[in-house]
Amino acid sequence: MKTEKNCKDFLLEINVQELPVSYIRPAITELRGAFLKELEASRIRHGETALGATKNSLICCIRDVSARQEEVSIEVTGPPKSMAFDKDGNFTKQALGFAKAQGVRPEGLRVKNTPKGEYIFVERRLKARPAKEIIVEIISRVIEGLYFPKTMKWDDSGLRFARPIESVLVLFGKDRLNVKLGKVLSKNIAPVEPAAYLKRVNKEMLIDPDDRKKEIKKLILKTISALGADQEVDEALLEEVNFLVDRPGVFAGEFNKKFLALPEEVLRASMAKHQRIFPVSKKGRLLNKFIAVTNGRGLDIKAVKSNYEKILEAKLQDSLFFFDEDTRRPLSENLRQLKDLIFQKGLGNMFEKIQRLKALSSFVCERSGIEGSLKKDIERAAELSKADLVTHMVGEFPSLQGIMGGIYALKTGEKKDACVAIKEQYLPHGMDGRLPESLAGSVLSASDRVDNVVGFLGMGIEVSGSFDPFGIRRNAQGLIQVIKNKGLRIRIDEVIERSIELYGDRLKVASSELKTRVISYIEDRMDFLAGEIRPLELKKAVLRTGRFDIVDIFNRLDKLSSISDKRYFLEAAKVVERTSNILKGVKEVVPENVDERLFKEELERAVWKAYTDSKSGIMSLIEKEDYVSATKEYAGAFYKVLHEFFDKVLVNVEDKAVRLNRLALMKAINRLYSDNIADLAQIPQIIVK
Amino acid sequence: MKKLSFVDVISKLNDFWSGQGCTLVQPLDAEVGAGTFHPSTFFKALGPERWRTAYVQPSRRPTDGRYADNPLRMQFYYQYQVLIKPSPSDIKQTYLKSLKALGVDTKKHEIRFVEDDWESPTLGASGLGWEVWLDSLEITQFTYFQQIGGKELDKISCEMTYGLERICMLIQNRFNVFDLEWQDGVTYGDLHTRHEIEYSKYNFDEADIDMHISMFESFEKEAKALADKGLVYPAYSFVLKASHAFNVLDARGAVSQNERPRYIGRIRALAKRCAELYIGNSKRC
Repeated sequence: MKTEKNCKDFLLEINVQELPVSYIRPAITELRGAFLKELEASRIRHGETALGATKNSLICCIRDVSARQEEVSIEVTGPPKSMAFDKDGNFTKQALGFAKAQGVRPEGLRVKNTPKGEYIFVERRLKARPAKEIIVEIISRVIEGLYFPKTMKWDDSGLRFARPIESVLVLFGKDRLNVKLGKVLSKNIAPVEPAAYLKRVNKEMLIDPDDRKKEIKKLILKTISALGADQEVDEALLEEVNFLVDRPGVFAGEFNKKFLALPEEVLRASMAKHQRIFPVSKKGRLLNKFIAVTNGRGLDIKAVKSNYEKILEAKLQDSLFFFDEDTRRPLSENLRQLKDLIFQKGLGNMFEKIQRLKALSSFVCERSGIEGSLKKDIERAAELSKADLVTHMVGEFPSLQGIMGGIYALKTGEKKDACVAIKEQYLPHGMDGRLPESLAGSVLSASDRVDNVVGFLGMGIEVSGSFDPFGIRRNAQGLIQVIKNKGLRIRIDEVIERSIELYGDRLKVASSELKTRVISYIEDRMDFLAGEIRPLELKKAVLRTGRFDIVDIFNRLDKLSSISDKRYFLEAAKVVERTSNILKGVKEVVPENVDERLFKEELERAVWKAYTDSKSGIMSLIEKEDYVSATKEYAGAFYKVLHEFFDKVLVNVEDKAVRLNRLALMKAINRLYSDNIADLAQIPQIIVK
Repeated sequence: MKKLSFVDVISKLNDFWSGQGCTLVQPLDAEVGAGTFHPSTFFKALGPERWRTAYVQPSRRPTDGRYADNPLRMQFYYQYQVLIKPSPSDIKQTYLKSLKALGVDTKKHEIRFVEDDWESPTLGASGLGWEVWLDSLEITQFTYFQQIGGKELDKISCEMTYGLERICMLIQNRFNVFDLEWQDGVTYGDLHTRHEIEYSKYNFDEADIDMHISMFESFEKEAKALADKGLVYPAYSFVLKASHAFNVLDARGAVSQNERPRYIGRIRALAKRCAELYIGNSKRC
């Protein structure tokens, strides 16, 4: 057994010219994972890891790495025993040859039983190589294998990386190891232990990305406090800045108040995009101030600040120009230009898109009971929804699409509801993004998403794994969230049908197939969004049942899962399960109606009476979406009597008419619940205690 | 210390980069969008031979015209272009030294290299690199070429394109380009304001659309004919003319979103053809 003494700390540092911000976190995570995997595969033990990631370096430090591989033995099988020994029991030439090839003496050969018969074999001890030899091989493999969205060449060695690698440092204990990696040189430093080296580097800069981020946030918040402003920090910008600096400092700057005339969103976008600086607001209103995060020590902050301020004003001057140009004419005059703007290849232009959107959102209004002026405003919003795509400001800041449309529409006298809808049409942006607050914005957002999903899937575009370049998944998910959030009562299958109709003959996939595909895609996303629900099968039981009304489906899920441990729920489930089971193997066509004249048994009549007595009550509870009471009623009406019925009455009797009539009765009871609330037969092992 | 004038900055850069072994050449006498279009870059970056060059290139981007109202954006401006092939490992340090040569104290001011993947769709050229920010202003485009004229490069060049006006703004502490000192009491505005206003009017409002469309067609035709005859430089000069005609049409609002990729594709095909011919001819010579 090796002792602790034979362990050394290990450190790898890749020094690289400024890495793209978004590459750094994934790279360091992958680097650690890949390296540990290689160590383990090479039977080299190791301890804890520590990571560093800055714009110029990826650092992976692993403590207590054993200096040698673990020793292991392997068995190498040779010829069958029958061929290894002659009739006198001596080794044959073949056996001797095998022993020689394996580098053992003939006495070392053993015999063992295998499924194929008896064979000779040798046990070989694999040589435990020094870890440092192996590490050198692993490192170049791991570095060359790192994934980046884009890679480049910088010399003619053929080596590719995200940006040019300047040097690599590998420390193993006190040794500095040389690695072969393109033309990259090893960093030339005096011998040093990894721990000491890390300490030294940390004096120069903050290498741990999380510590650094905390420090930057602390500095920003401190400055905000000094300004008496709102304690808000743009997290996305913070993450970005975190990988632009390694030795952070902060200062606050100012700009001319006249630029506050620009919409707040424009000011924020300009600051973030052009200078990566943080806006400052007080009581929710932007101030003519900003906070910049600087890098390094010894800066002439006064001069740097003055430059930042003047550059910001020059950039804002450009935004003012865009704003003035864009507002020289009403937004509606842009519509003509939308004919020149492609929506998606094969799916026509943006002008066609807004025509569809207008019709589709109008349809959604009708179906969800929105009428009068609000309906008109929504239609107008749909018509103007894409008009800002051809403005200067959206050309400069694509992230302001919708937002600028809303602002410009308001400036040219459009109704407020329409403007808000235009502004909110792209919400939510991500999984946890903000949802449209207005009803009008929700209708527009939902319609746009249906149009997108139907169009993309209709072109035969597939989503696989994480590959979703058209954002189909994001669109479908957003659609569900928007509808659920506003409680929009629509049958989504009808909206999909209407959307397909509106595309006319543009789509490649046949209408009925496409409808099924879109619906199953949305169901899949609902399943995902519903999260973990007990019992697990409840989602499937509810999703495939009743109207395809998203609000209603989530409501049913919610209600049923909240009563899933109640006795009456289990009783109801048992009723659905038993009636479903008896119908399962039936090959004949079971009639829709029950014929009372065919009843033979008293219990049959009792079950039928239970049905006729309870049906309208249960249906009216379902109508009121009171699924808890409906379940209670259902269980109360059928559980007992059906239990007795199954005990005493044989359903599958010889007489065909009687048999089918009994099955029809079972079907009616089953459908009453499973067609309207949930197909609880999906839930296995229902036990009523 | 006296602040450097616009002309001084050019001289200092010339001194610095000729000291680095760069052949100083003169601007291309044609309307181009950037220094990359100059044959000293476009052709010279293609082959395997060592090449170092530096030059000023007046550049035109008709859509960027602002009638001289904007402190930062113009449809006509000057780039200082440096191309080093093959790219040396210490090129970033050398670049920083060039800023020091301009009197920029890189310890007291903040220099950032911000990811920017450069692409010129008309030249079929692309590379990876950064925008270099000095106190948050983009002053240089720093690119390792990966592809030129649609050709994947074997020898990688490093291209550094300085925005001369922007550097001067920071050096002279004047944040309106037209207030910059050009030389001895002459301002940038003295030389350019009227030019900028008139060209903004021309590009946006006056340029004859039909004439430019027909010029584009003629230039394209001529470029093809010359390429067929193996006359690379003349062919290339007509590619540049076609490219500028397209830029004017674009600024004039005469290019729809549908047509844009087609125009660009046509120019790129010609540029690619010239690049191929250039390499072919060098081999024959």
